Amino acid sequence: MSVLSKFQEALVCLQAGRVTLPYPAQAQPVPAKFRGRPIFDAAKCIGCAGCANNCPAREILVFDVCQEVRILKYLGRRCTYCGRCADVCPEKAIIMSHEFENATDAIADIQQQIELFMSTCQRCGRCFKEPSPLEQLKLKGYRMDDLGNERWIYRSKAFLDEEQTVDDVNIELD
Amino acid sequence: MFARDKLNLLKAKFSSAILRADLPADNRLYVFVEPRAIKPVCQHLFRDLDARYVISIGADDRPYSGQFLVAHNFAFDRDHLLCSVLTHLPADNPRLDSIAGVVTAANWAEREFRDLVGIEPVGHPYPKRLVLPDGWPDGAHPLRKDFAWNQVPEGFDDEREFAFDEPPEGCMVVPFGPFHPTLDEPAHFRLYVEGEMVRGCEYRGFMVHRGIEKLAESVLTYNEIPMMAERICGICGCVHNVAYAQAVESAATIGVPPRAEYLRTIMLEIERLHSHLLWVGLACHIVGFDTLFMQSWRIREPIMWIAEKISGNRKTYALCLIGGVRHDITPELKAELRSILDKLEAEWTPVVTAVLKDKNLQARTRGVGVADKTACKNTGLVGPVARAAGVDIDCRRDHPYAAYDRVDFDVITADGGDVWSRVVVRAKEVFESIRIIRQCLEKMEAGPMQAVIKDELPVGRLGLSSVEAPRGESHHFVITGENNRPRRWRVRAPTYQNLQGVPAMIKDQQLADMTISLGSIDPCFSCTDRLETVDLRTKAVKVWTPEELVKMVRAKTT
Ligand code: SF4
Ligand code: SF4
Repeated sequence: MSVLSKFQEALVCLQAGRVTLPYPAQAQPVPAKFRGRPIFDAAKCIGCAGCANNCPAREILVFDVCQEVRILKYLGRRCTYCGRCADVCPEKAIIMSHEFENATDAIADIQQQIELFMSTCQRCGRCFKEPSPLEQLKLKGYRMDDLGNERWIYRSKAFLDEEQTVDDVNIELD
Repeated sequence: MFARDKLNLLKAKFSSAILRADLPADNRLYVFVEPRAIKPVCQHLFRDLDARYVISIGADDRPYSGQFLVAHNFAFDRDHLLCSVLTHLPADNPRLDSIAGVVTAANWAEREFRDLVGIEPVGHPYPKRLVLPDGWPDGAHPLRKDFAWNQVPEGFDDEREFAFDEPPEGCMVVPFGPFHPTLDEPAHFRLYVEGEMVRGCEYRGFMVHRGIEKLAESVLTYNEIPMMAERICGICGCVHNVAYAQAVESAATIGVPPRAEYLRTIMLEIERLHSHLLWVGLACHIVGFDTLFMQSWRIREPIMWIAEKISGNRKTYALCLIGGVRHDITPELKAELRSILDKLEAEWTPVVTAVLKDKNLQARTRGVGVADKTACKNTGLVGPVARAAGVDIDCRRDHPYAAYDRVDFDVITADGGDVWSRVVVRAKEVFESIRIIRQCLEKMEAGPMQAVIKDELPVGRLGLSSVEAPRGESHHFVITGENNRPRRWRVRAPTYQNLQGVPAMIKDQQLADMTISLGSIDPCFSCTDRLETVDLRTKAVKVWTPEELVKMVRAKTT
């Protein structure tokens, strides 16, 4: 009976009452496990590049300026907030924060850069033991030659053009 | 058992053409045949043995075997068997007989491997370009191994126009899309309309290729792909995440711990709840019944919150790694999930009771967008679309994965084949999902969540996995490879098949029913388009010239 069903539907609405939350006028707390913007702790990071090697979005770049200086840069552009970087970090130097209001017109607001002084491991060139062979490192110690292949991010675009976009990634070496 | 039976049947008929057969498990069958036999074998499977067509895959296998590879996948749903018919083709002349003549559902898949891998389906009934952008040069095949993931092909022709087919005699052309209020994503239907009646259409899609498959086989690694796979779809992402992990696990024979299987099942069902409630709301919205749209979305919200509590995000759960899962359900969350399910059941029951008797809604959706059993068979329709037509298929029961073999549930079917039946099926499936989650919470045992993987994965193995997404079967095919990543990964989302059924559904019905007919398959264009490099060309908007558009886009991105 259709009229009855209309009454039932009206009842469903009436019982619901008001459900709209006062966000953003009032802050909305997130659950404890929430995966927000990853935040890097420069004091804990050992520069193993485990995070960079396992970031599906290629959001973390590792750049060796010279034998002793390694720069780790979080680009903050297309991070998927998957939390894999925090998972694999052996030093727990990355936390998935509760920040989600990350819209900005200045990308530097969410970018992070860590400069690390490195010393050479004579044995393997690494200081990260991967959890399983699936997380294996492609980036050993100070191998510069791998950078061009694996570590750079290419910007995806809506059209084709000539210029490769390596230059797009601007590492400031001050 | 069944795998061997089917193989024997094939051997009896085609013994000389069968080169090799692998039966890695009772529910998987890989048959390698000679190229000349591919069409008769597929015809035999599809017509005589009544297999369901799933997908065709083309792969560039030249670096490994010196040849190209084509696989046609079929499913024997009642026998719980997924079967793949494979053939190798010579590197210098990759051609094989098209099966689209006998298996209509293979129409797109064959055009896709023609575009992307450059394997020619000889005798294809409609060999038009499908996936690549219009200006893409002929002869450049981006899924070939000698085509780098970031390569820009020579001779991209901005001027090249898409050649539309001629409309039939006496019909007007009404463009629908690429941007349309009922489409959340770009797709273009060119409707042939006679008076108010739709007589046919031409579909033009694949406007949002994102190159995920190419990325996976050239840049990402095994454990990075699940997070990317999840982003194939914004609604049923977890489905792709699980399906990919399972395909790799099946290829590399990795056993998943039982607790992880239960957790996968629970998260998949949570996702189904959210998707069904979302879709019922959307379908009502399309036909102008916004009250129910609001209410079903309100009822859905607690599901999103509990998903966020369990996984850390409302929608992108980032659940699976190869061999396990990342998020656990603590006893507190268990209790909370239980109470949310109780509330959901209590709230959804009156809605369904009311809706099932709602004459207005029925008047708007009954007899609209009909796809009957024959259409389901021929175009390979899956999920609620098939079940609404009385085709009793559901991968959860037919090809059990995760913990579905340990829970009880009913497969809901209806017999109208129309939009109304789809509403009924999806509205009722909500209760089955609730049942499944409750049983999982009951049965889930303590234990590890991740299998220990000590060695690199074996190379060159094949893996198949079908997962029942809210909209239908999502099928993943994987060939494992070197460098910690697969050689080939092919995703077939349910919309890939269901969209091919749309022209038949809208034929000879009112133009005004187009929106809900299309909406009723719950189309997901980003799933369907997932593929290749570069893209997005909005030339269909004729007010702008392509040059102007390109200029505009460039101005914006720099
Ligand atoms: S959260 Fe995921 S996408 Fe973001 S930086 Fe970490 S690993 Fe990369
Ligand atoms: S994984 Fe951790 S320690 Fe290693 S480079 Fe990344 S942040 Fe630093």
